[in-house]
Amino acid sequence: MIARLRFLWNETWQALRRNPLLQVASISTACVALVLVGVVGMTLYKLDAVAQMLPKQFETEVFLKFEATREQALELKAKLEAMPEVARVTLVPREQAWAEEQARLASEINLKDLPNPLPDKLVLATHQPDQLPAVAERIRQEPTVDEVIDQRETLRQVLATARLVRMVGLSAISLLLLSAILLIYNTVRLTIYSRQREVRVMALVGASLFTMRTPFILEGIVQGGLGGLVGATLVLVGAGLISDYTLQLWPFLRDLPPGLPPSLLLVSLPGLGALIGGLCAGWAAQRFVRV
Amino acid sequence: MVELRKVSVEYGEHHALHQVDLLVERGEFVFLVGTTGAGKSTLLKLLYGALKPTEGRIWVLGTEVNRLKPREIPTLRRQLGIIPQDYPLLPRKTVWENIAYALSAIGYNESAVRQRVAQVLARVGMSDRARYYPDQLSGGEAQRVAIARAIANRPPLLIADEPTANLDPETSWEIIDLLLQINLRGTTVIVSTHNRAIVDRARQRVVALDRGRIISDVPHAGYPVELDRLYPPIPL
Ligand SMILES: Nc1ncnc2c1ncn2[C@@H]1O[C@H](COP(=O)(O)OP(=O)(O)OP(=O)(O)O)[C@@H](O)[C@H]1O
Ligand SMILES: [Mg+2]
Repeated sequence: MIARLRFLWNETWQALRRNPLLQVASISTACVALVLVGVVGMTLYKLDAVAQMLPKQFETEVFLKFEATREQALELKAKLEAMPEVARVTLVPREQAWAEEQARLASEINLKDLPNPLPDKLVLATHQPDQLPAVAERIRQEPTVDEVIDQRETLRQVLATARLVRMVGLSAISLLLLSAILLIYNTVRLTIYSRQREVRVMALVGASLFTMRTPFILEGIVQGGLGGLVGATLVLVGAGLISDYTLQLWPFLRDLPPGLPPSLLLVSLPGLGALIGGLCAGWAAQRFVRV
Repeated sequence: MVELRKVSVEYGEHHALHQVDLLVERGEFVFLVGTTGAGKSTLLKLLYGALKPTEGRIWVLGTEVNRLKPREIPTLRRQLGIIPQDYPLLPRKTVWENIAYALSAIGYNESAVRQRVAQVLARVGMSDRARYYPDQLSGGEAQRVAIARAIANRPPLLIADEPTANLDPETSWEIIDLLLQINLRGTTVIVSTHNRAIVDRARQRVVALDRGRIISDVPHAGYPVELDRLYPPIPL
């Protein structure tokens, strides 16, 4: 067993050493691809977080009918709070709204002597932004409700943008991964080619297909894993520099939600690289290492 | 030990082998002779599963080779000593390492490898060349190492495709003599060659192939007259 493992490891090591230039090329391509995966992934994560956060600021304003009493307003508030989708409801009494409005416009016109034209208003937020339209629709059915302003259009646009970003990002990632896959496949194919003498000896003395193929698969795993490790480091260093710089330029960015945690990146990029490397190496080995 | 029944191999329209029947018993030494393109290599490749017949059935050491899946071929090959027509030693490994490599690949542990490599190098008379690299060996010496590598796992059947190609007559005979010795210790040997002198001298069973057909099969024979009739020797 130990002898077998040693043999496999020796073979892998030889495979990796056989074409150092090729290996470096392959590892760095995997690295570049995974750096871009990391960058796109991080950007997406951040944008997604922003997109998730933004709609929370959109609240529905429910204007009650003018003739509705304060009791009815409180009743409706309680009813809305009972809905499972609803996160919170605030009552803005018409007196308060009018006072605020007067104060806001004080420098322009004097509204002091006019009668209060505003109805009572409820401000309502749902747990999820996309629950808003349906909830608004239901509230509209209430007899005491005059109008529901649900920011439907704005919300739709924000969600569409998030979708677009996600789509573009994902297709960019799949494109880059595809090129990484083809490159690792090709490098392993070339290694197999440069080691066909050894492969032939193994085949003729009766080494198992497992023994013959495993070293090349390990080679792919090492290439992808190393590429991912270097890539993750580059992404983290780069992201650190960029965010320091942008924070200097636009300090308000500090309020954005935090990005991908570094440890996740350090595990997932090499892991992804190793997985992809192993799979394409296995694919190449299956095709080109035969008895 | 080896049996072929109505075996044909076609490359497109070309019949490399046509309806070949052959039986080789345990312990035999068989020469496979024929001119270039007669189908010698094709027949030998069938025996170790490097080629599938278009038609017919092949048994080797009790296994029906034509039915083996790729996954099952290694098991058969571990019981065979195979020396194909072009089977160079690994150039970056010494003589010792070349044989050790073959044994490690089939799971020998380190001490078993050490022991077996020493034995087998002594058997082919190459113990003093263990640390040499292949490019430091003569053609005959390299062929001895190739034989050592092939018999390292003690195969009951040894298959050698033109092991004397490119060797001078004296060295050719030394190689055949080595194969005869291996045969005397119980290994069945099948050797292809078109070297008339060694066939005449060895006096073993001779199977003659011509254009994919067996045209003669004689025990303890010299070079077959049938082939001489078809392809008269060129006077020097
Ligand atoms: N892969 C192939 N594709 C097409 N034809 C082939 C192939 N391999 C062999 N042949 C043909 O089959 C015939 C038999 O070839 P084979 O190699 O068995 O001859 P041989 O007796 O070993 O000759 P030699 O003494 O030159 O080694 C030849 O005519 C050859 O051209
Ligand atoms: Mg041949």
